[in-house]
Amino acid sequence: MTGREPTPVQMERLHQRSRRFTRPGFLIQLALLACLIAGPLVMPSFRVMDLVAKIMIFAVAVASFDIILGYTGIISFAHGMFFGLGAYSVALICHYSQPVQYHHLLLAGVLAALISTVVAVVISALSLRVKAIFFAMVTLAVAEFCHILGYQWSSLTKGEDGVSFKLPGVFSADWSGGALWGTQINGRLLVYYLILVVCALLFVGLVRFVRSPVGRVLKAIRDNEQRATALGYRVFRYRVLSTVFGSLVSSLCGALFAMWLSYVNPDTVLGTPLMLNILLMVIIGGLGTVYGGILGAAFIKIAETWLPDLQKLALSLFPKMELMHRLAERWILLFGILYILSVLFFPKGVVGTLRDQAEARRLRRLGRP
Amino acid sequence: MDLAPDAGQAGRRWAARLAAVSIWLLPLLAIDPTTYLVLTVAGLAMGMLLFLTAAGLTVIFGLMDVLNLAHGAFFAWGAYAGFAVLNALNGLGWVETGTLGQGILSVLLALLAALAIGGVLGLFLERVIIQRVYGDHLKQILITMGASMVLAEVIKVLWSPNNQTVLVPLSFTGSYDIMDVVINKFRVVAIVVGLAVYAGVMAVMQKTKLGIIIRAGVENREVVQTLGYNINRIFTGVFMAGAALAAVGGSMWGIFREQITPAMGDENLIFALIVVIIGGMGSVTGSFLGACMVGLAFNYVAYLVPKLALGANILIMVVILFIKPWGLMGREQ
Repeated sequence: MTGREPTPVQMERLHQRSRRFTRPGFLIQLALLACLIAGPLVMPSFRVMDLVAKIMIFAVAVASFDIILGYTGIISFAHGMFFGLGAYSVALICHYSQPVQYHHLLLAGVLAALISTVVAVVISALSLRVKAIFFAMVTLAVAEFCHILGYQWSSLTKGEDGVSFKLPGVFSADWSGGALWGTQINGRLLVYYLILVVCALLFVGLVRFVRSPVGRVLKAIRDNEQRATALGYRVFRYRVLSTVFGSLVSSLCGALFAMWLSYVNPDTVLGTPLMLNILLMVIIGGLGTVYGGILGAAFIKIAETWLPDLQKLALSLFPKMELMHRLAERWILLFGILYILSVLFFPKGVVGTLRDQAEARRLRRLGRP
Repeated sequence: MDLAPDAGQAGRRWAARLAAVSIWLLPLLAIDPTTYLVLTVAGLAMGMLLFLTAAGLTVIFGLMDVLNLAHGAFFAWGAYAGFAVLNALNGLGWVETGTLGQGILSVLLALLAALAIGGVLGLFLERVIIQRVYGDHLKQILITMGASMVLAEVIKVLWSPNNQTVLVPLSFTGSYDIMDVVINKFRVVAIVVGLAVYAGVMAVMQKTKLGIIIRAGVENREVVQTLGYNINRIFTGVFMAGAALAAVGGSMWGIFREQITPAMGDENLIFALIVVIIGGMGSVTGSFLGACMVGLAFNYVAYLVPKLALGANILIMVVILFIKPWGLMGREQ
């Protein structure tokens, strides 16, 4: 290849490569990262830190779901289940090993990755063979089974009560390391930074995956399966690969989530509400954009923290109307309606729509209508 | 000479059928025969109620190519509609203290209410939402999932998020005792209704013009359209019928279990999906067989190892997917 003229595509890519550190997108990412690092030191509020940590975790979980749904065109209803498998791996290992040590966390991470890989390979090998919608149905059934198992296998998972546990050493809630510039350095803060580091790495990994040759093949399969087959790509293998990769990342997110809460129960990490939240986030952020995950997760998580205030407002505005109270209590109903409306009328999400506009502007500049 | 392979094939097919049936006798090794019979009746009753949901799901998929994940919500709505009617009639003294005739009438009214509410919801959902996403599987699955969530939430708003106890006429509770085999009365009703619905659906599909159009639509939508039939109207009708069947199933389930929750729709949807995958998408008979299998397996396993009951059904699904990726009666597309 060395002696040959570069093809136009290669030229374009080289051009993009040379500008990658000066693009506005890259600068925004750097600024965001700086905010996340400095945030807890500048503004020591637990409520904000809690919100930001959850947004980071869900941003990565949603982005990994986007790999499966937006880039491969497969609907997996088991994404929440993989999240839960990761969460339960950490919770159970930390709960049952006394005393907890650092290597237990590593062990839990490896276990989460292993279990989710095996389960994802089995499910996808079984159902992706036939038709992508079989996958949706099978994952729905398996996820429900896991949810029930979380409730009923109470000798292991303690059923409905959930598992609470302590993290090892400097990550434990009662560890304290003095103060730095007026901020208490404690276990929670260190877990926050651990989450930040792991999420940033996972997110970069997801972006690299999408831009890699494999990612391009996945997009090709999504857009035109027959053509991709005709070009000699083994569609089935690529689909399995993407599903497994997405599920694996999801389980690691679940592990981080469990570490942040130091507690898991079947409804918060295995139930349908979690899956619906992920779906809503990915739709609002935009399918097939990866970055949409950040926006979607931020939107929903911020809305969730505001909703109790909204309920109080509703109660004070309509003190007599029983039905209004019940409506305000059922905020999933509002999210559900929002979700249906965005699937119908806003299918590209925030990031997708913005990208379309940017693309249209670029084409106009080039003089092509 | 050329007859021999055919005979061999037929023989093999019968052997396979015999084996398939005899698998269901296996639990006899662990369960004593009396209990086995009780469980079998319970399983068949459950299968019939599952069939009511699965039949709509499979026909809607076959004809309209729509995977309707909101089908479970119709089931739950039917149960709540029946519950509301029985509650209202109990105010008249018909249900808990009424005569046999009043009891039967109130159950019939409850089922009718479920039928109506299912039809109305089906009409609404098909016209308002699903018609916008024909031909796009991804959007269909996403949007019907959302619709299912919204419908379940509306139940929680109108009634309550907690369990409700369904009032059941005295004449429908209690059980028959035939040589120590205890058979719940309502299970018999469920089996009769299920068989009747199966017979009815098959009769409509095989003998009527509408059935011919539907079967032709499953084969090739465009050709039916070019022959001058308004396929959209048929879609709406089939969707409504499917929703109404699911709602009736839900209302019977409520009367049978005497308890309903807003989450029952989701649970039922899972079973119905397993049934449809086992039976093959688009096949009514396949769904009937699948529903019986799932109902029986669930009851046997629930008796032996309660925690794995749903797991056993998923296992059956996995095995079927291995042997026949398109389901028992499904056709490769």
